[in-house]
Amino acid sequence: MDFGLTQTQKLIRTSAREFLADRSGPATVRAVADGDTEVAANLWMDVVELGWPALTVSEQHGGAGLSFSDLAVLLEELGATLAPVPVAESAITARILERFGQDALKAELLPQIADGDVLITPAIVGRDASWDAHNTGTVANRTGSGLVITGEARFVSFANQATHALTLVNTDDDQFAMVVVPIWKSPGVEQIPLNHASGTPVYSLTFNEVEAPTSNIVATGTEAVAAAAELVATGSVARATQLAGLARAVVDSTVEYTAGRQQFGRPVGSFQAVQHHLAEMAIAAKQVNHLAHAAAWSFSQDGYSVDRAARAKIAASEKIADLCWTAHQCHGAIGFTWEHNLHLYTRRALAWKTDFGDAAFHKAILASAMGL
Amino acid sequence: MRFDFTPEESDFRRKLSAFLDGALPADWHGPADESRDDHWALNQQIKKGLADRGWFVMSWPTEYGGADSSPMMNTIFAEEMAYRRAPGHDRFGTRMLGPTLMRFGSDSQRAEHLGAIARGEVQWCQGYSEPNSGSDLASLQTRAVLDGDNFIVNGAKIWTSLAHRADMMFMLVRTDPDAAPHKGISLLLVDMKTPGIQVLPIINMAGVHSFNQVVFDDVRVPQANLVGDLNDGWRVGMTVLNFERSGIDYAAWARAALEELVDYVKNDDSLVSTVKTNPEVRGKLASLNTEIEAARLLCYDVAWRQGQGEVPSAEASISKVAGTEIYAKVLDYGTELLGMYGALEPGSEQAELQGNFLKMRLFATSGPILAGTNEIQKNIIAQRGLNLPRAPRR
Repeated sequence: MDFGLTQTQKLIRTSAREFLADRSGPATVRAVADGDTEVAANLWMDVVELGWPALTVSEQHGGAGLSFSDLAVLLEELGATLAPVPVAESAITARILERFGQDALKAELLPQIADGDVLITPAIVGRDASWDAHNTGTVANRTGSGLVITGEARFVSFANQATHALTLVNTDDDQFAMVVVPIWKSPGVEQIPLNHASGTPVYSLTFNEVEAPTSNIVATGTEAVAAAAELVATGSVARATQLAGLARAVVDSTVEYTAGRQQFGRPVGSFQAVQHHLAEMAIAAKQVNHLAHAAAWSFSQDGYSVDRAARAKIAASEKIADLCWTAHQCHGAIGFTWEHNLHLYTRRALAWKTDFGDAAFHKAILASAMGL
Repeated sequence: MRFDFTPEESDFRRKLSAFLDGALPADWHGPADESRDDHWALNQQIKKGLADRGWFVMSWPTEYGGADSSPMMNTIFAEEMAYRRAPGHDRFGTRMLGPTLMRFGSDSQRAEHLGAIARGEVQWCQGYSEPNSGSDLASLQTRAVLDGDNFIVNGAKIWTSLAHRADMMFMLVRTDPDAAPHKGISLLLVDMKTPGIQVLPIINMAGVHSFNQVVFDDVRVPQANLVGDLNDGWRVGMTVLNFERSGIDYAAWARAALEELVDYVKNDDSLVSTVKTNPEVRGKLASLNTEIEAARLLCYDVAWRQGQGEVPSAEASISKVAGTEIYAKVLDYGTELLGMYGALEPGSEQAELQGNFLKMRLFATSGPILAGTNEIQKNIIAQRGLNLPRAPRR
């Protein structure tokens, strides 16, 4: 057991904090939440410049070859600042490619992902909003040269900035395929912007006979289902880690507010009722933080721990939005205003309760892992 | 960051577990009830077995017969003992008084007591709480007045676990009634056979004689039994409490209980096995598993920080709150899941899982109360951990 950061992780944290404090302040977060795609695109360009998309891509394919545990340190900081950048999306799809893809596809895409020229976002949820790996909203016909895809993928993060979507399709031979679909200015792809409480760009994609070459197929059959399940698990741990960072930031800002706000001639944070709210928030934040990093660490090994991944998102989904509601109670009326930034965190926490599977979804997975 | 154990730690856990396989009766379910002679004998036997293997005081420095083991190893020791509900982990002597004597005791006190503790030959109990001093411990009133070479002690201690089995007590007494509450307290070592000491049993709500009231009537305690300086007992005595505040026992008890419950639900012969396919039941069991793992990680975090030379105060409080809360929750759910059987007392005809879930649930009421109530722990978390301002003192 080691709850400390490695030298590399310390470096990641320090540089992330510096950059994000400077470049992803509340004004940026609000602009992106209001739909300013230019601000989001500029921020992403700077993030690419820093090399963050390359962090976990293997060295063999032009990345830095760092572990998922190292990435988690960055994700925590992104969560703490609500940074609207698709670092998690890029890292998890790259990881699935790396683990399931054919060598040629990896050699083609991974170096471009590391360079930021390619951004692949997960698109595996259909109209029924289910994260089940056997469910998909898209079908595909096999042709001599590849797949022709029709259907709908909903709740796709950063689809407007992505060059590709990683999609699970139902093929006409009654099989599943996981495939990298080009979506950047692709004929037949329509993007419908959603107004999502996370404050990040989220879209629904409709595919109307969109072609993906055979070489873009990552996995088929049960392998594709396994890849989809792992994609969801990886994404859920990324979200849990971001939510852990978010929780830390909310605890910190609530401490700062209640220690300063005076009523009855003393800081409201000196009242036991308020202190106990904050103590409970601190406990929840630490629990999610530990579970998330323990899960992320398991991804640094071969494969990952199904149990740890499920626990991370169960705890994050169950605790962090509640933590935010308690923060509102501690802030009193000022926290109820549009002007105060707290609701940005609350919205994100609320939106991500369900992203990559809600608590009930992951409890079902954990229950099975427990032999139930 | 890493979340696995070193080979040395895993090896130790395996060895301890194998020792307990042999030391505990084959049908052992616990929990131990030390007021029963057979359980007390088992307690003594296991203590000796642990001492023979060098584990009983492995947390101590080598110069006192310990192994100078890391806080993580000590946590694993406590966890494994609790997970098996094994008696014989003597916190009072090995974890509280021992380290206190090493730091504050006189040479003769160390010579007299440390060896006996290390060999598992002596049972200590802790005389802190009083009928009118619980969370507000510094208000304690038991008086000790110096008379020649002896203190004369008068007063009463309460909620004293194992006083009915103890040879010795370390106790806080008021030695200067005129000083501020924290400044007039001293720590004394008292032989429980001294004339004037009366141990009155208190039966807890689970029906077990686990603690006592101890009355002191002109009890003569040699001046040489004062630990540290006169009137410095608050500081000396708080060292003890730093060792007391951890959630690892509770997290381990919770894990054992949940596993028992899951096994029970999975077993086709179980009377309530039909609940296995109920998604709500599956979800609830998964949720408890998650909370237990979180509590466990919080305890490992405390151990890791101690290993880094920190004195993690708020973190220890967090682990205590999380551990005690999840333990009660698991037992709550266990009694609920057992349906009508959940209401059967141990020993009842037709009781399932020995009626243990009910008994343990009743017992677990004490977790959030003892060793500093969880409300006090939350004050510590807020004030020491988050640096929130203290309430003005009246």
